[in-house]
Amino acid sequence: MPDWAGPVAHYVLHEGLPNTLRVGAIAIAGSAIVGIVLGTLLTIDFRPSRTVIRLYIEVFRGLPILVTVFLVFFGLPAISHTFEFNALNAASIALVLWGSAQVAEATRGAVQSIPREQHEAAAALGFGWTERHAYVILPQALRRLLPPFVSLLVNIIQNTTLAGVIGGLEILQAGERQSERLTSPPPIGVGHIHAFEIFAGVAALFFVISFPLTRLAAYLERRLV
Amino acid sequence: MPVALVPGGGHPAASLLPAGYDLWKFVSQYHDELLAGFENTLKISAIAIAGSYAIGIVLGAARAHRIPLVSQLAAVYVELIRNTPILVQIFVLFYGLPQFGILLDQFSVAWLAVMIWGGAFHTENFRAGFGAVSHNHHEAALALGFRPLSAFLNVTLPIGARIALPSSINTAISVVKNTALVYVIGYAELTTTALNISNLTLQTTEALTVLAIVYLTLVWSLSGAIRLLEARLALPRA
Amino acid sequence: MKKLIVALAGAAFVAALASTLGAARPAAPTASNLPPLPADVKSRNRFIIGVKCDVPPFGYIDVQGKNQGFDVEIGRMFARYAFGRAQRVTFVCAPTAAREPLITSGRVDLVISTFTYTADRATRIDFSEPYYNATGRLLVKNSGAVQKLADIRGHNVATTSGSVYDRWMKNCYSTTNVITADTFTNAKLAFDQGRADAVMFDDAVLLPIAAADPNSKIADDTFLAAPYGIGMRKGWTEMKAWVDSRLELMRKKDQFYPILKANVPPRFLTSFAKNILRPNQTFQYAAPNAPSVDTVCQ
Repeated sequence: MPDWAGPVAHYVLHEGLPNTLRVGAIAIAGSAIVGIVLGTLLTIDFRPSRTVIRLYIEVFRGLPILVTVFLVFFGLPAISHTFEFNALNAASIALVLWGSAQVAEATRGAVQSIPREQHEAAAALGFGWTERHAYVILPQALRRLLPPFVSLLVNIIQNTTLAGVIGGLEILQAGERQSERLTSPPPIGVGHIHAFEIFAGVAALFFVISFPLTRLAAYLERRLV
Repeated sequence: MPVALVPGGGHPAASLLPAGYDLWKFVSQYHDELLAGFENTLKISAIAIAGSYAIGIVLGAARAHRIPLVSQLAAVYVELIRNTPILVQIFVLFYGLPQFGILLDQFSVAWLAVMIWGGAFHTENFRAGFGAVSHNHHEAALALGFRPLSAFLNVTLPIGARIALPSSINTAISVVKNTALVYVIGYAELTTTALNISNLTLQTTEALTVLAIVYLTLVWSLSGAIRLLEARLALPRA
Repeated sequence: MKKLIVALAGAAFVAALASTLGAARPAAPTASNLPPLPADVKSRNRFIIGVKCDVPPFGYIDVQGKNQGFDVEIGRMFARYAFGRAQRVTFVCAPTAAREPLITSGRVDLVISTFTYTADRATRIDFSEPYYNATGRLLVKNSGAVQKLADIRGHNVATTSGSVYDRWMKNCYSTTNVITADTFTNAKLAFDQGRADAVMFDDAVLLPIAAADPNSKIADDTFLAAPYGIGMRKGWTEMKAWVDSRLELMRKKDQFYPILKANVPPRFLTSFAKNILRPNQTFQYAAPNAPSVDTVCQ
């Protein structure tokens, strides 16, 4: 490995990777919780709630995630200084908004695909609406949600790179800063550009994280659906 | 009159917006630049959508028919693109290629990156679509004397493409949304233009409002129009 | 009655004499009479300062991934003055175009990021007193299409988006194709890759680059001699008073010289030492009512 690569790899893995994983974890957890709740509520035949949730879904699926990131990072503080988030948190929030919209839509589809008979049988056994959904409907729906959910996880991990666009120090941003440093003459850098090697390395890192998950999603698709 | 009682001096919702927010002034002052940016968004979207469909149909067919070598290379291409972030792909094209002497300007990298990304997803869409065409149809065509290529063009393609239509529409709309990402290489499409203006004039909320409205209108109308088309192009129920 | 008038006159005379004597010798600045740190920064117990992350020798990331540079060291010195420890500062990367938004949105307390004072910028933010006297230069290829300032007409010149050079070229050289990049590295890259025939930026940044690159050199022309200032929110008089007083203190104690020495190659030290604040060396911004420096064509 060439001399310059060591410090670069160290910086990317020690400064960038933990932030990427943190943003990804918050985003997927938040998307799951908010999305499943919204998706289930979407199945209730009550026009006002359905309209609001439908609007939420269409807005955050329709906007490019980058624009949502900018809205959270630049737009929210303009409303009130309590809504000022740092780059990594703003990106996490934006990813939750987008991810939950995806999960909500998928949950609605999954819940509505559960046959009427399940609802009727549960009701006949004395389950109320909440218990019916919690113990009978959702467990079945969630099994169907698992493959697209794993795909969403892969998507979210890729999209953590958006935090770097607003300056958050995730993997890609770390690689960028090192690539910039290397173009300066020694002793700061090496005086040459090694952008291809660095970004190919960053791509390889994401591939190593994502590929097993993609395979898992395909496997679950075959086994569970 | 209740106007004076509400902080912000007017409509209750106005208190949510920052002082001095003036969307109309922003748009009227910068409508030339914003329109030019929007045109650029449409330009690279159109090129990227057309190109990615072409890639998807050709490579999807190769994958579905398991054409040796092409099928494996296509599989590698698909997995590479789907498992790496599109931002990294953009950076490799713009900052990495010059090391090999390939110097592309921002416009070229903009449509090329999004096209390559879309092409990978379309390849999967059409592989599934063509693969879903019943083998019987294909064999019947061959039995009737069609050469393999003709059989593909006249039988598998029309049917398979319609099966792949819904997923390919989603990919095409994603391609349009991903054009915003070329902000990072400074190509003057809509997002870059709006944010550059807001950096100069500090009218960030107005710029973001414009972006939200334009993208939602664009994406929703495209979705709507194409869903209509989908209803008409759908395969008749057998 | 006469005695009273004489006594009062004498007292008045003595008082006037004492006050003029007092004014002739200003009190030496001590910790007790230097302006205090604004309360909101004090309560946070750290500074948040925007700096350049890719522009040696002013602000860059070193091999260990730490912020270094002339501007960065001033930031650390401020942390020492404010909180007693150089670590009590968080640095945020502030590329050219992001400097004003970072200030106005309140995400940073100060911007020490090769920030040239212009009358235009001063309408939106406040600047401290000047701390570095920069001059614009052109980095060109040894035998390229652009060899001097006049050559930039009809050619491509790279610089950072929103910089004084960006605006100056757009105002004064309409036939020049200004290639703007979001960061200095990208502007330099455009030059390296042949997209631009020259880079226009500050002397202290370009000279070391030319020194290390056998294929490029600095054109002789100098222009846009304008000092850097430290940027902050408009109307934050407390902070301005604090910053100006500490800059003055650092000047008196000649503390800028060792910072410069640690950050520039030795061969450039003597020439750049003319650009910093020293006990016998100061410089000023252009008069407030003079036209903005990026609108004055050469």
